[in-house]
Amino acid sequence: MNSELGRFSLRATIAILGLGLVLSGCATRPDGANSAAVAAYEEANDPVEPLNRYFFELNNFLDIIVLRPAAEIYDGVLPGFAKDGVRSFLDNLRSPVILANDLLQGEWDRAGDTTARFGINSTVGVLGLGDPATGWGYERHGEDFGQTLAVYGVGEGPYFYAPLLGPAPPRDLAGFGVDTFFDPLTYIFWDEAYTVPVTRFVLNGIDLRARNLNTLDEIERTSIDYYAAVRSLYRQSRADEIRNGVTDVDALPDISNINFTSDE
Amino acid sequence: MNWKLTQLRSSTRRGFIATTVALLGLAMISAPASAARDEEAEVFVGDIASEAIDILGREGFTPAELEASFRTLFVNNMDIPRIGVFALGQYARTPDATQKTEYLELVEEFIVKVYASRLSDYTDQNFAVLSSQPKGNKGKEVIVASQIEFATGRAPVPVEWWLLKTDDGFKVFDVKVLGIWMAQEQRSSFISVIRNNNGDFSALLAHIEKQINQATADIDVKLTEVETETSAEATP
Repeated sequence: MNSELGRFSLRATIAILGLGLVLSGCATRPDGANSAAVAAYEEANDPVEPLNRYFFELNNFLDIIVLRPAAEIYDGVLPGFAKDGVRSFLDNLRSPVILANDLLQGEWDRAGDTTARFGINSTVGVLGLGDPATGWGYERHGEDFGQTLAVYGVGEGPYFYAPLLGPAPPRDLAGFGVDTFFDPLTYIFWDEAYTVPVTRFVLNGIDLRARNLNTLDEIERTSIDYYAAVRSLYRQSRADEIRNGVTDVDALPDISNINFTSDE
Repeated sequence: MNWKLTQLRSSTRRGFIATTVALLGLAMISAPASAARDEEAEVFVGDIASEAIDILGREGFTPAELEASFRTLFVNNMDIPRIGVFALGQYARTPDATQKTEYLELVEEFIVKVYASRLSDYTDQNFAVLSSQPKGNKGKEVIVASQIEFATGRAPVPVEWWLLKTDDGFKVFDVKVLGIWMAQEQRSSFISVIRNNNGDFSALLAHIEKQINQATADIDVKLTEVETETSAEATP
């Protein structure tokens, strides 16, 4: 990215943010007398919902004109093994960040798995292009600093939907920042153009999008409010990741007595 | 990070963990059977899954016939009115009698479309019930864990079932696929629509109806694909 382009994108960012603020601003807290509306407002925990919806629409627009076509080309042109190679390679590059967070969460066995995976896949797997480690019993898992904070007891905070990044409530946004510091690539390729980190960010986005072409279509088609559905999906899948896939039965509500006149 | 050091730490830690787990295991054997598996619930889930797999594998069926089979399966085995009430949160008190009836009809239609469409993504797979555990202290709810397995070596998809014991036997209240509870997802959307229309319940009805109409066409296409795949496999 040369400096002129950088200045342009900075200006564009400011313009987008400014326009968003002018157009929307904050959601108004409902009147205290309307208890159903207050409960709905608190359950959504989305105080800047109009702004978030604006960014959501913006991302959907960018998705239609840039990301989705790129992902479709990527998906159509590359054979399956090549796409798997790209995914394995990107996953392997993320190992240091996963390891750091495994250790910070005291997940020693999982830290061992991450270390073994990195060792095996970087050598036998030819620089991470293959994933023989999974077949040897070291299955992949993800971790990030947002999850580490959650394990330390930090709450998610109000919902925020960021341009380009997508759902990024304060805890996970902070986690994203910290993970960047854990990432060796941040330091090794600290060139002016940020070629490697930028390429990785873009390729990762395209690959993830290509893997979810059908899933996202399906969710959009079967949701009466796509924005609210994505908000719920994000929160639920984060909660699931934080608990490493184990359902917390006690956290589920008691539904044995609900009916049209109950207060659940 | 020194790799050997990590390994060393990890192995001493592992020894400690192993001992703890063994002790806990002993403690659990002598504990009362309250955390026992519920075989009846597991059989119920297994039956629904084989029925669904059976429907997806049928040959020579039109999309309408496939959808009708799914409708019978869902309506008989799911507690759709309860899901409908749950999806409204505190707005459940706002509809009048006519709106309630219309809402429950629309929800049934909506659930049949959504679940049939999402299920049709999983054709020709294996299904395994893994375990079950009681939920809550009333003895009315059970969570059953299962997974969809793929012949291709793709990682299995975990599926959990939230069952409720009724006078009419078990009913499915919710299903969690890949970490997502579906009724919770719908609740988020339903409440959002009502709130963003200043509490107007009829706005929700209009939205669901519109979505059903849109989904109908799409789902016909998907179910036709399922049927085509099944027939193609049958005649190589």
